[in-house]
Amino acid sequence: MKRQAAVLSALFLLLPAAAPGNWDFPPPKPVEEYGNLLIHRTSEKNNVKSVSFSHWMHRRKHTCRVCHFELEFNMKTNTTEITEEANRSGRYCGACHDGRTLFGHTEPHCGKCHNGDIGYGNLRFNDMWRYPVTKYGNRIDWSAALEEKWVSPARYLTTPPLPDEVNERKLDLDAAWINVPPSLFPHRKHTAWLDCNDCHPNIFNIKKKTTRIEMVKILKGEYCGLCHGSVAFPLTDCKRCHPTMRTPPKYPEPQSR
Amino acid sequence: MVRYSFLVIKNLHGSAIITIKQLRASPLLSKGVCMKKIFTLTFLLLVTPVLLHAQTGVKKRRPLPFEYGRVLISTPNLSPDLPDVQFDHWLHRAKYTCRLCHVDIGFAMKRNATGIKAEDNIKGYYCGTCHNGKMPHGDRAIFKACEKTYTEIELGSRCRRCHSVGEKVRAEYDFASFTGTFPRERFGNGIDWEKTEEAGLVKLVDFIEGISFKRRQIEVPKDFELSTKVESMPEILFSHKKHSKWSGCEGCHPEIFAGVKKGNTKYSMTEIFEGRYCGQCHTTVAFPTTDCQRCHSKPVR
Repeated sequence: MKRQAAVLSALFLLLPAAAPGNWDFPPPKPVEEYGNLLIHRTSEKNNVKSVSFSHWMHRRKHTCRVCHFELEFNMKTNTTEITEEANRSGRYCGACHDGRTLFGHTEPHCGKCHNGDIGYGNLRFNDMWRYPVTKYGNRIDWSAALEEKWVSPARYLTTPPLPDEVNERKLDLDAAWINVPPSLFPHRKHTAWLDCNDCHPNIFNIKKKTTRIEMVKILKGEYCGLCHGSVAFPLTDCKRCHPTMRTPPKYPEPQSR
Repeated sequence: MVRYSFLVIKNLHGSAIITIKQLRASPLLSKGVCMKKIFTLTFLLLVTPVLLHAQTGVKKRRPLPFEYGRVLISTPNLSPDLPDVQFDHWLHRAKYTCRLCHVDIGFAMKRNATGIKAEDNIKGYYCGTCHNGKMPHGDRAIFKACEKTYTEIELGSRCRRCHSVGEKVRAEYDFASFTGTFPRERFGNGIDWEKTEEAGLVKLVDFIEGISFKRRQIEVPKDFELSTKVESMPEILFSHKKHSKWSGCEGCHPEIFAGVKKGNTKYSMTEIFEGRYCGQCHTTVAFPTTDCQRCHSKPVR
């Protein structure tokens, strides 16, 4: 009885510390399709092909905050009420795709978005062959590309972002597990693309340590995993967040560009 | 034998503080009981933090413009014919000031905190203040809220106008056509209510005979700046004029902001995000806190 209880309690205590890393990930998408998505909230019901949207194509010209703050696009596919009417009155896609700055929501441009092809526009990926390289995702180091001026996306349409100095702090986030080095969070690299409200207070509360972030939850697409795994560099790139990790697990790399 | 006592306290921000105290050995405890206790203790230690941190790091679904400010008021003691009440702020705020309902009539600011009863409505309190079948609105009278008995026809034509959760009810006012001409803004209802009022597109009623009382008006205090804790975060320009037009003085003072003197009430952004202080209205009905720069608007010197 005594021994049994002791063994069981020991197991309970040791479980979280056992086997760090080596998570199961789905096979990586081709580099040209990472961050691409199909929007089909109402299109199929209306006998129109679903809309293909490519993040890499758009993030070269605009930062995340332009669409996900100023233009009020939600972060989850098919949850934003994008309609033909809204687009034509200059909201959502129609803010830029108005027929003057860019092709509009009119004939004969239908097929440019309503094509149901997740790989639409793949050939244009080759334009970016000189951008800084990483191992996963689009195999592009977007942060470095921004710093080295390979891309200079517009940061706003009407509302300028808060000054960069607002939060320059780098957060040292201690890992809950033994053997996992802390994760370094640079605010500056995130505010270069995002608006405060994209993360605060919904995903992360503003005070450090009031939000308990767990890797298991991140893998499910919560916290950091909301963007890192779908658009920003994926979670297979351990060392980019845990820079002092000595032997990061090796995950299959996506098809080379 | 060693005994432990532990205490889990949840602090303001929802994180837990766990204190473990070693108690004096107790001869009364047998070995088996003690092992069980240690086992439950280890188990609880592992499980409680998980339970207390139920908050998840996902982006919340943003309500659609016509859903923003919607309050579902539960009516547990009524017959199953009468489901919960759905109250949309946008229609009422296009006609009345916040002050009229939340000060003069006395609705609380928190859902279900008022405890509205049918009897009270019948007596002419709460909704029944205006919804009494007599109060004129334009060329007709405002429909009656509650009655002791109701017929089958009345149930569909009158009761369900408010008791509409889960029912297929065609609303008399359509959001899109009602607010179509109003100036647009980001988030919330997608409407710049302040500009709408200035342009005269809505005319707000702030006085009901017999309920409201006219006092000599207090001069509206000047706009002031609220400094921020984070360096180079733009300061907040707070306009008393803009707020008092809708809320009067009593909407905020002294209950939400106790000190009428600046600096008396201390609050943080975390508390606002939790729905306290400014967040009382600015997470639910007024434009939401996700629109940082609408308040943090003063350039840093």
